[in-house]
Amino acid sequence: MLPLTVGLTHYVVLSALLFAIGLFGVLSKRNAVAVLICIELMLNAVNINLIAFSKYITPTLFIGQLFAVFVITVAAAEVGVGLAIIIAIYRNRLSVNLDDFDWLKW
Amino acid sequence: MVEFALYNAWLVPLLPALAFLAIIFLTRPWPMLSALVAVGGIVASFVVSALVAYGVFTNPEFLEKPLVYAVRWFSMPGLNVDVGIQVDPVSAMMIFMVTMVASLIFIYAIGYMKGDPGFSVFFSYVSLFAASMLLLALSSNLVEMFVAWELVGLCSYLLIGFYSYKISAREAAKKAFITCRVADFGLLLGLLALQIVFGTLNLVELSDKVAHYEKYTTFGVLTLIAVLVFIGPIGKSGQFPLHVWLPDAMEGPTPVSALIHAATMVVAGVYLVARTVFIFAKVPAAMELVAVVGAFTALFAATIAVTQREIKRILAYSTVSQIGYMMLGLGVGSMTAGLFHMWTHAFFKALMFLAAGSVLHALHHKADIWEMGGLIRKMPVTGWTFVVGGLAIAGIPPFAGFWSKDEILVAALESGHYVLFVMAAFTAFLTAFYMWRLIFLTFFGEENPANHPHESPPVMTVPLVILAFLSAVGGLVGTPWAPVWSQWIFFEHPHHVEPNYWVMIGSVVLAAAGIYLAYQLYVVDKAKVKVKELAERYRHIYTILYNKYYIDEIYLWFNHTIIDGAAKLIYLFDIYIIDGVIVNGLAYLTGLSGESLRVLNTGRLQNYALVFFLGVLALVVLLAFTGPSSASLTLGGVK
Amino acid sequence: MNVNLSLLAPELFISALGLAVLILGLIVPKDSRHGLGWLTVFGLLLGMGITMAGWENQGTLYGGLFVVDQYAVFFKLTFLVAAFLVVLGSMRYVDMMGDQSEYYSMILFATLGMMVLASAGDFMTLYLGLELMTIAFIVLVCFRRNDVKSVEAGIKYLLLAGVSSAVLLYGLSLVYGLTGTVVIGEVGRALTARPVPALILGLAMLLAGLGFKVSAVPFHMWTPDVYEGAPTPVTAFLAVGSKAASFAVLLRVFIGALPAVWAHWAMLVAVLAAVTIIVGNLVAIPQTNIKRLLAYSSIAQAGYILVGLITATGPGIKAVMFYAFLYVFATVGAFTVVTQYYSVTGSDEIKDYAGLSQRSPLMAAVMVICMLSMAGIPPLAGFVGKFYLFKTIINDYLWLAFIGLIMSMVSVYYYLKVALVMYRDEPADPAPIQLSAPVALTLLIAMIVTIVLGVYPGPLSEATNVAAQSFWR
Repeated sequence: MLPLTVGLTHYVVLSALLFAIGLFGVLSKRNAVAVLICIELMLNAVNINLIAFSKYITPTLFIGQLFAVFVITVAAAEVGVGLAIIIAIYRNRLSVNLDDFDWLKW
Repeated sequence: MVEFALYNAWLVPLLPALAFLAIIFLTRPWPMLSALVAVGGIVASFVVSALVAYGVFTNPEFLEKPLVYAVRWFSMPGLNVDVGIQVDPVSAMMIFMVTMVASLIFIYAIGYMKGDPGFSVFFSYVSLFAASMLLLALSSNLVEMFVAWELVGLCSYLLIGFYSYKISAREAAKKAFITCRVADFGLLLGLLALQIVFGTLNLVELSDKVAHYEKYTTFGVLTLIAVLVFIGPIGKSGQFPLHVWLPDAMEGPTPVSALIHAATMVVAGVYLVARTVFIFAKVPAAMELVAVVGAFTALFAATIAVTQREIKRILAYSTVSQIGYMMLGLGVGSMTAGLFHMWTHAFFKALMFLAAGSVLHALHHKADIWEMGGLIRKMPVTGWTFVVGGLAIAGIPPFAGFWSKDEILVAALESGHYVLFVMAAFTAFLTAFYMWRLIFLTFFGEENPANHPHESPPVMTVPLVILAFLSAVGGLVGTPWAPVWSQWIFFEHPHHVEPNYWVMIGSVVLAAAGIYLAYQLYVVDKAKVKVKELAERYRHIYTILYNKYYIDEIYLWFNHTIIDGAAKLIYLFDIYIIDGVIVNGLAYLTGLSGESLRVLNTGRLQNYALVFFLGVLALVVLLAFTGPSSASLTLGGVK
Repeated sequence: MNVNLSLLAPELFISALGLAVLILGLIVPKDSRHGLGWLTVFGLLLGMGITMAGWENQGTLYGGLFVVDQYAVFFKLTFLVAAFLVVLGSMRYVDMMGDQSEYYSMILFATLGMMVLASAGDFMTLYLGLELMTIAFIVLVCFRRNDVKSVEAGIKYLLLAGVSSAVLLYGLSLVYGLTGTVVIGEVGRALTARPVPALILGLAMLLAGLGFKVSAVPFHMWTPDVYEGAPTPVTAFLAVGSKAASFAVLLRVFIGALPAVWAHWAMLVAVLAAVTIIVGNLVAIPQTNIKRLLAYSSIAQAGYILVGLITATGPGIKAVMFYAFLYVFATVGAFTVVTQYYSVTGSDEIKDYAGLSQRSPLMAAVMVICMLSMAGIPPLAGFVGKFYLFKTIINDYLWLAFIGLIMSMVSVYYYLKVALVMYRDEPADPAPIQLSAPVALTLLIAMIVTIVLGVYPGPLSEATNVAAQSFWR
């Protein structure tokens, strides 16, 4: 059995994977709410990065953790505004399918 | 007060400029109010100028060191341009003269332009005209001066074409503008060359640097610069061969002609040469050029004036001729004499133009002097003031023109320019002759029963009287016995002229001979038999002179055959090759690329996100595979 | 910890003002909420005064997290001027739209976000400022919540801004991981010129995230749609305020934190600037909607401003500041005309601008002057600004200067097309357009400043020089 110690690299790879998954979701999901959730995934990838770096690179300072707290807070605010807009657009168009929203183009 | 005026001389151009803005934006619907604003602006400016002049001419410090104050206009490495005011005797004299003459012309115009539908607009233009000229006079910097120079050109265009319903006025305006533009191109090249060679266009710095030009450039380049700079004045001051616009400029309202010919526009060229005389002084050949062009123009225009029939046209050619005189004075090395003649000329030429305007006003714009006659009985003020002007321009002592003309003649003689001296002396004779021909035919002799003249209102005659007074005594500031003028206005060192009695007597005799000849031909000989005989006998010369040496026709022919011919070829090339293939082709391609790129914006949000990530990817690829070294090879920049 | 609050005075004042406007909106009766606009206008004026008074008052707060230098103060003034003009020019439009207190407070909070952004000394402050600005703008963009286009623009802006924020943050986290610090100055000292893959990835992500905010191609796709859909005053503020703030932070990050790898990103920025200028100007040509046209033109303008970043020197910074400032007036002038015309005719189509010169000479004149300034025609301000920008790169990137020049010519074409419609064509309805005093004032300010800065750029040039020097202090 291989000695398995979890190091910085693992966290960074996890974060990159999460980011990529979120990115894939943003590009492929048609539902606005799903896209919003995928953006949250990307932000959480960032948070993993921040905390991992904080733990391994500046273990005495809590810079990364602090930053992550701010990211979480702001993301919550963004989701709040986002859901409000999605509700507003649903009222107007009776749809949350992003493919329907192409009145503004060219 | 004086102190305030000296340090706030920028008010001098600013006040008429403000009057211009006020009329354009506020008072245009009320003509009399507009006129009052304009007159108020220029008179206030005159008061400031008078204070400045008083301050300068009571304080000899200004001879050594001009008062300069400036603000930075824009700056970049290698080029700093200031906007500033330079107060020294020359500029103080200039603004004093310009504001004084312009004030009188403005007041006169209230009467002359009465009832014109463009009354307010007229006053706004002339205010801007005066403001531009005053800015030109006070500029501390050649860029600033050039801006003012072009503004003067623009205003002259607007004013010459003021009666824009007349085709001739429109054509004359275009002619003035285009002719001056040709000349300004030379001036602009000269200024650019100065900037490149000396790194500054500030007058004070430039004069210091040009004094040791060997450090910066060669003699040949400096000669070229001087010649290029002089091309500007050739156009603006109506010197041969670019004088053609000036006689046509009388298409504008007469006060404008007075303003152009006496106080502003045309003397701008003389003033520019005087301002940059430190360049010319280093280049004898350029000085010679100025002198020769001046003397030739003086004689050339005088011969044309002898045969002309329209009152303002004669005056216009006399202006060309007199400006030639000034250039001659500058060219033979006497800035004192050149500017002195500019000073006296401003008074008597303004006077004569305004008086001519008064005549035209009375005769409902009938301009042919052969159809006038005996007007002095009906229009005594106009007539006698014109006579004063005639005496002044002919050079009869003690009137103003005598002293200044005398100084130029003496300067030409003393500097050894004997040929030019003879040309100038002969011009003096011709001047006296044609000017008195005009006076005798217009004001004396028998009345033409078809005319019903009447004297002009006081608002027009009072300025005439003041100008007549100035024409009479304005030269006394520079008599050879009390040379106040030459103590203040000079280049490098005061030029003290010993009274040269031979020249004085000679010039008086020549002038008197001219007047006597005119008297014999046009007054004694009532039927004008001799004149007709002479014209008949020397028919060819007469025709050539009457048609102004066919200069206009030569230019026209040149334009029609050579330029138009070449233009036709180029036009075809333009239409089919340039426009057809290159321009339209390029435009089509540009439009097409716009159209096709536009389609990328599909409106689909996720396509946008995709493009975004492709962009990130592209950046990463670019960064990863093109290090700084290979990037600098292909795109430059990073060393 | 001893905090010098005087450094924070402008931010404190604007946040208090924003809260006050929000709360007052709940208290005052509906028909007198009009006064909130005036309160905002005068509050912003006062804010300008406070900011200006702190010109000499420099320092850092919270251990480098918040930097107050003249660079930041200059940008804050720019934002306040922009907000002032936008509010002044749009009061009537807002009264028609309703919900004044929310609108004005959102404008104020967006301004606050920009001000924080300009003073950001580390990545956390940067992120907070950026998001404060962005979220306020998202709300503003879909403010006409019953208008389909407005809401569509809102959701596009929300999602794309979210994605770009995530990318930016990922880039920031990578830079943090490489250097162990988030303070911009310390990052600059810690970084070495060795381009490890993580740094390359981080650099690209930072450039993309901030490039999104300044709408640099290819991160510009949202711009035309959002500009078209948003309420016009918001578009104006988005075009000037958000863009200027993003440039402020772009310069701060790239010149302050990443000078060690300048050799790597300079070429990248040059390419980005070139592509942005080309695409912005070309796609503007076929546009038929005035707001989309101005959107593409603003993309092109972003390309021009990017040019100032390339050399990463004082003159470049100065040129960016100078251009950002004058760009405020030209853009707000043009958009105010659009706002006003929309409230009269209800149309944003260029063809409906026929005969505007007869209906309102002032509006047509302001439109033409602002557009010509953007095209860089002397003697207008835009010419001087472009001159300063391209002067910094003329020696090393001649090809870019040529692209800028050629594309400026192209831009004249589509700007003049609008002028042609306004001046040549006959209006469908010749009734004169009455301008209210605040709108006329806004238009006049925009026009006069655009002309004056072009003729006499000296004082502003000096001020930006000083401010650019403070960047390294």
